[in-house]
This record gives sequence, structure tokens and C-alpha cells, in this order.
Amino acid sequence: MVSDAHRLIGSLVHAKAQLHLETADLCLLVALRARAEVASLVSFEESLLVDTFEEICVLTDPAAESPRKRATHAIQRLRDQRMLARVDGVGLLRPGEYSLTRLATALVDFFLSDEALTRESLTVLTKTLLSELAAITQEARRATTPDAWRQGVVERLRVTVSELLGGIERRQRGMDAQQEEVRAEIAGLLQKDWFAAVDACEALLEKTASTLRELAEVLLQDASHLQGLLQEIEGAADAASAGEAAAAVAHVSEQVDRAAAWGGERQRAWGEYYQYVQGYLRSVVRLDPDRALSQRLRDQLAHWPERPFALAIADAPALRVMREVSPRPETRVVARAPRDWQPALQDTAPERDELEQQVAQALAAGAASLKDVLEQVLTRTVADKRFVSVGRVAAIVARLRPVVREYERPWHPVGPELEAQDWVFAEPAS
Amino acid sequence: MTDAMRTLAETLGDPLFPDVDLALRSGRHIDREDLARFAFLQSAQEVLETFYRRYECDLVFATAGYFYLVPVADRVRRRQLTAGEMLVGQTLALLYLEPSTLRSGGVVGRSELTERLAGIVGDDALVAALNPRRKRAARSVAEEAVRTEIDRALRSLAGLGFVDLLEDSLRLRPPLLRFADPVRGLGNESSALEQLIREGKIVSEAEHPEDEDA
Repeated sequence: MVSDAHRLIGSLVHAKAQLHLETADLCLLVALRARAEVASLVSFEESLLVDTFEEICVLTDPAAESPRKRATHAIQRLRDQRMLARVDGVGLLRPGEYSLTRLATALVDFFLSDEALTRESLTVLTKTLLSELAAITQEARRATTPDAWRQGVVERLRVTVSELLGGIERRQRGMDAQQEEVRAEIAGLLQKDWFAAVDACEALLEKTASTLRELAEVLLQDASHLQGLLQEIEGAADAASAGEAAAAVAHVSEQVDRAAAWGGERQRAWGEYYQYVQGYLRSVVRLDPDRALSQRLRDQLAHWPERPFALAIADAPALRVMREVSPRPETRVVARAPRDWQPALQDTAPERDELEQQVAQALAAGAASLKDVLEQVLTRTVADKRFVSVGRVAAIVARLRPVVREYERPWHPVGPELEAQDWVFAEPAS
Repeated sequence: MTDAMRTLAETLGDPLFPDVDLALRSGRHIDREDLARFAFLQSAQEVLETFYRRYECDLVFATAGYFYLVPVADRVRRRQLTAGEMLVGQTLALLYLEPSTLRSGGVVGRSELTERLAGIVGDDALVAALNPRRKRAARSVAEEAVRTEIDRALRSLAGLGFVDLLEDSLRLRPPLLRFADPVRGLGNESSALEQLIREGKIVSEAEHPEDEDA
């Protein structure tokens, strides 16, 4: 579903999809839907569309000029936005025949919908749901083949049960919209009638509160029965290793949980709103029946910079809570050498003299390259000084013997852990 | 609970007492939304009124349904609200009174507060009231200073129980009606103000200009 949504969003962005409907367009769709229901029409002739639009224009914009032309534009607009589909397939040869698309029907349904949840509709829905689930439970007990599971359980859960739960959710959304309307109505009533509206406001509050209370009770009570039946089906599905059925049960179970949670959540939210409005009616409206307070407070605020005063409030400092005494922790002294400290210089002259002697001996013994010299000298050097010695030997050799300038000097191992770039010595000048 | 609160010893022994006492002494207003503390105060009101009188404080229960403490002498320290807190508080009280606020259950946007305040008091008067000691500054600097003062005032008013701070909005609470006390009655506003000053609930800034920043 999520990946589908991502793909759909991507394609909408790519196609730069948008909807732009004028009031007259929406009215036309609603009127067409109504005509279709009354006259059992499947499609509408173009002349009917134009006539209907003209009737609507009388209501929406009586002063409009050339309504037929506007109707043509409106029909084109609705076709472009996939609200109307031409169904005759004749093209431009004669006036077309149109039907409402799914998108248009959904839009009209939204505006037509007055399906707020009531105790009666909820009870009917949940009882139907319970009996359907009971029947599916029987099917689950009897099912022995994958086909039986699919037809008797999975399809019925996916279609019938999900549709019924969808019906509850749709009505819940209707109820949410109704609550919004009640809030607006309460504000509007007080705005208009102030003190005279108190009783009407209280009645509205009470009515919605009691409806929500009843709905929450029904949902809570029936949700546990529904979940019980779903668990039975799930148990049977697990026993028969019917994974598809188990997944369908899990999906329905989530829907049931969501529907039940809605009841509690809305009841809590309405409770808070109820308290707030009751407080307002009690402390503002009833104490100020002439609605003079707002204006007087407004005047007070406007003139406050010239006649300032301030509310006095208590401002006792917070109590000081002494922290518990604890021995000071021992801190370790961290010492380090001063920044300008340098290690003492060592006299390496004796070592260099010795090295020079060894190099001279190697050369005298006929060493033909640096590698030969190093092999002889390093055997007499301790391991941790060999690396330093390589450099010193090279320096001495370079001083004592000319070296052949090769294009590329090869690397040779000199000892177990070192390699040196080799120099071949030139013949000494005779 | 009501029966259990008849004596001072029982009241002081209640686990809620330290919390309520500290809140009241720090200037907090406790309304019905603060259910546990409000119920405690309601049940112990008589006992606590006597108790706080010994500290020369009045425990006030307002008709709009909230409690607060007013020190009438110097035994418990007191302060007066700043200019910013007063301006913001009165504007919020005005918004609280409007029926349109009911639709959102008492939630208003911060921008609504700023717009309403500037609309009623006027931009220049607002800048002058919130930056009394500042020399003429660039308009943007002055506006920024006003915004900062308003934010500071909101934080303080939230701590005192007048308003709840939400992410980009504010939830108004009944104690805001305290800002409308001087104009509550239908009588003369000046005499109502004098009465409140005598009761120690309000301080006239003309009498105590040096307290402004206290």
C-alpha cells in the first residue's frame, strides 16, 4: 500500500495532476447524480448536461451571460479532469453521451453524505458484522482445502467484513465532521445571541456527549465479541497452515481495534471540549449577560500604557535544599614535561666512526653495490638500530664511492625486515 | 476526601499539600483543569484560608473557578507582573472572552495574539511600553525586541497557570479572567481598581514605578 502510494504520488507529480472545480461544476455533478438516481439513467445526453448547467447557473450566477457557452466550457473542464467520460464513442459526428466517473461519484458522495454514526446505525452494522463473522467461523472449522479457505474465509473477510468495517469508519468520519459543525454552531450561537443561546449550547453539548458515550459503549462491547470470533478463525487458520486467511484476519482485527479506539478517543476529546465550554458559559456568559466585559476589557487594554497597573502575585523563592555532604573526591595529579623540554642530545660520533670503518672494510673486500655493503654491515648491527644504520651507510658509501646512474634502481631485501634501493658502484678511477 | 480535610493536621499531612503549597507561593493559579490540586484546595479551602492568613496571605477563590495566593504584607515575597506580562495577559483575556475561540476549545495561534495586541495598543505604543528605557532604535530592532518581550511574557504567564504553551499555539485557561477583574463590575472602573489595590491584588505602577523590573 505504501509503495503503491509512493508510486502514485510520483506519477501525480510527473503528470502535474490537479483539480480545479468551480461551485457551478460541483453543483452540476450533484444535479447529474440526483437525476441519474431519480430516472435510473446510466448516461446523460449532452443536451441534458447543458440544460442542467443552465438551471444551475440561474442559482449560482444569475447575471452570467451566454450560459450555453459556459456549459460547454464546464463540460470540457470536467472531461479534462476525468469527472465526465464520453461513452458513445462517436467523436465529433454528433452530440455526445456522458457518464459520471468514479472520481465524480466519490466527490458527490462526499457532499451528499450525511452518514454520521448513530447508535442505531452502529448497532445494525456491528450485529451484521458479528453474524457474518460467526458464519465465517463455521466455514473456517469446516474448511479442508485451500479453495475452501479462500472462498469461505479469505474472500468473505476481505470483501464483506472489510466493507462493513469500512462503513463504520466512514460513518465515524461523518461523526467527526458533525462534531466540527457542532463546535462552529455553538460559537455561532453565542456570537449571535450570547446569553439567550446558553440553553441551546448546553443542549448541543449534551446531545453530542451522550451520542459519543453511547457509541463508545457499543464499540467497546461489540469489539471484544468481534475480536473473540476473529481469534477463533485465526486459531483454525494456524492449525490448517492457511497463511492467507491468517493475514486477512490480522487485517480485519486491526480495523476493529481502530474503530474501537475511535470511540474512546473522541469521547475523551469531547469531554475536554465540554468542560471548556461549560466553564466559559459559567464564568463568562452567565456572569456577563449584557456582553459588556469584552468591550470594557478592550478599552482597559487600549488605555493601559497611559494608566498602567499590574497584578500582584506571590513570588516566594523556592526552598533551598542543601545537598548531602560527601568527602571531596581525590583528584589525581597529572604531571607532564614543560613545553620547551627537549631530550638530551646523544653523541653518536663513536658509532659513526665504527660504521665508517665497517663500510670501508666491505668496500675493500670487493663489494660491488650498496646491497653488498649493507649485507656485511647489518649483520654486525643490533636489530633496533638497523633502520637508522641503512641511512648512515648510504651516506658514507655515497661519499666514498661514485655510483652508476641507473634509470631505475631495484629494491632488494637487506636483512629479515628491511628493503633498500640498490646502487651499483662505478669502477674507481684508476 | 472532603471529610478527611477537616483539620489542619490532616490537610498538611496530605501528600498533595507540599506541591500545592509551593505552587501557590510561587504565584501559580490553580484551576479545574488541574484536577487533583483543584479538588484538594476545594476540600481544604476553609482550613487553608486560616493557615495562609498567618503568613499574611489571602487564599483567593475566584468565581471563574481558580485559586491563587495574594500576599498582603511582606512575610511572603510578592512581585507585580511586568509591562509585557500585563499587555500579553490582557490580550489573551480578550481572546478568551471571544466566542470564536470556543470553536477550537480555547486554542489560539501566537500570531493571533501579536496581531490583536498591536491592533489594540498600536505599534508605537507597544514598542514604547515594552522598551521604556531603550533609545530610538531601527524599526526591525524594535520589533524584534517586542517579539522577545512577548515570548518572555508568555513563558512567565505559562508558569503562573494563565496559559499552556503548545507548539505554535496557546491554550487559554480560565485564570486569564483575572486580567479583567478591574472591569468585571458595572460600576466605576477607577473605584474597582482602588478596591483591588486595597485588597493587594493589584499594584498601581504610578505608586511603585521602581518595582517594574522587580
